[in-house]
Amino acid sequence: MSKLNKNYIINFFVFVLLLFQAVIYYYNVNPSSQIINNKSMTVENFSSIVLGNSGLTKIGSEKLNKVNENNIYLQGKSYLENDDYKIYGYDITINLNEDISYSKKSVKIINSMGTLDAKGFKNKDSEGKIFFEGEVIFRSHD
Amino acid sequence: MIKYIYIFINLFFYSSLHSESIVKAGESLIWDSENKSYTAIGSVEFTNDIFYAFSEKMVAEYVEQNNKEVFTKVELFENVRIELKDEIFEGNYAIYTRDNNIIKLTGDVSIQSPTRLLKGYELIADIDNNKRILNSANEESLVEVLLENNASN
Repeated sequence: MSKLNKNYIINFFVFVLLLFQAVIYYYNVNPSSQIINNKSMTVENFSSIVLGNSGLTKIGSEKLNKVNENNIYLQGKSYLENDDYKIYGYDITINLNEDISYSKKSVKIINSMGTLDAKGFKNKDSEGKIFFEGEVIFRSHD
Repeated sequence: MIKYIYIFINLFFYSSLHSESIVKAGESLIWDSENKSYTAIGSVEFTNDIFYAFSEKMVAEYVEQNNKEVFTKVELFENVRIELKDEIFEGNYAIYTRDNNIIKLTGDVSIQSPTRLLKGYELIADIDNNKRILNSANEESLVEVLLENNASN
C-alpha cells in the first residue's frame, strides 16, 4: 500500500469520526431543548384570568397545556367563569385568537336563568352564542 | 301548632315564587345571550307550572327582571302538542306569551278533551280566563268558556 493511500485512509477515518461527533452533538443538544420547552408549556392545578369579548373570564383546570400561541388545552376537570356564565366540564380547548372555547365531553353551565347539562359545547364569545350538541336539559328558575 | 302553620305558609310561598321551567332538546340547543333567546332543536320538550309542550323546534325569548331572567315568549314549530290539565292541543305552530298567559296555535289545529274533539285552523287558549276560541275551516268561530272551572272561581 502506497504512502498516499495510507494518508487518504487516515483522512477519511478522521472525517468519519468528526462527522460522527457532529451527529452525537446534534442529537444531544436537541432533546434537552425539547424537554425544557415541554416543561414550560404544561402547568398542573392551573387557574388564571383571560380577557375576552365578554370581559374577564377566570379559567382553571387540573392541567393546562399550551398547544401554541393561540390555543390552550385545559386537560381534565376544568372551568370557565365570568359574569354571564359558569362552565364546568372536562378537556376544554380555548382559542384565544377567535374567542372560542369547546369540549366534546359532558358539561354543566350555570347562568342567571338556571342550569344546563349537555354532552358538549362550543362557546363563540364574539357572537355571544353557546352551542350545545346532543341531548340537552335546561332547568330555569323563573 | 302555630310554628307548623308558619313553616307550611313559608314553604307554600317559596314554592310558588320559585317555579321551574324545563327545556329538553334531543339534538341541539343554542343560547344566544345577545338576542336573549334559546333555540332548541329535535324532539323538544318544554314544561312549566302551567303546561307541557312537545315540538320539533322551540325558540324561547327571555328578559331580565329583578336581576333574574324569565321566559316571556315561547314559540313552537312542527308537530306541536300541548297538554294543559286534561286538554290536548295540537297544531303546526304555537306561540305562548307569558304576559297575558295565552297560547295561540295555527295550522291543522285540534283540541281534545275527555268529552270532545274539535278541529280548525287556529286556536286561541286564554289560560287565565279559561276561554278557548277555535276558528274552523268555514271561518265560523267557536268560542268556548269552561263554565265548570269558572263557577268554582
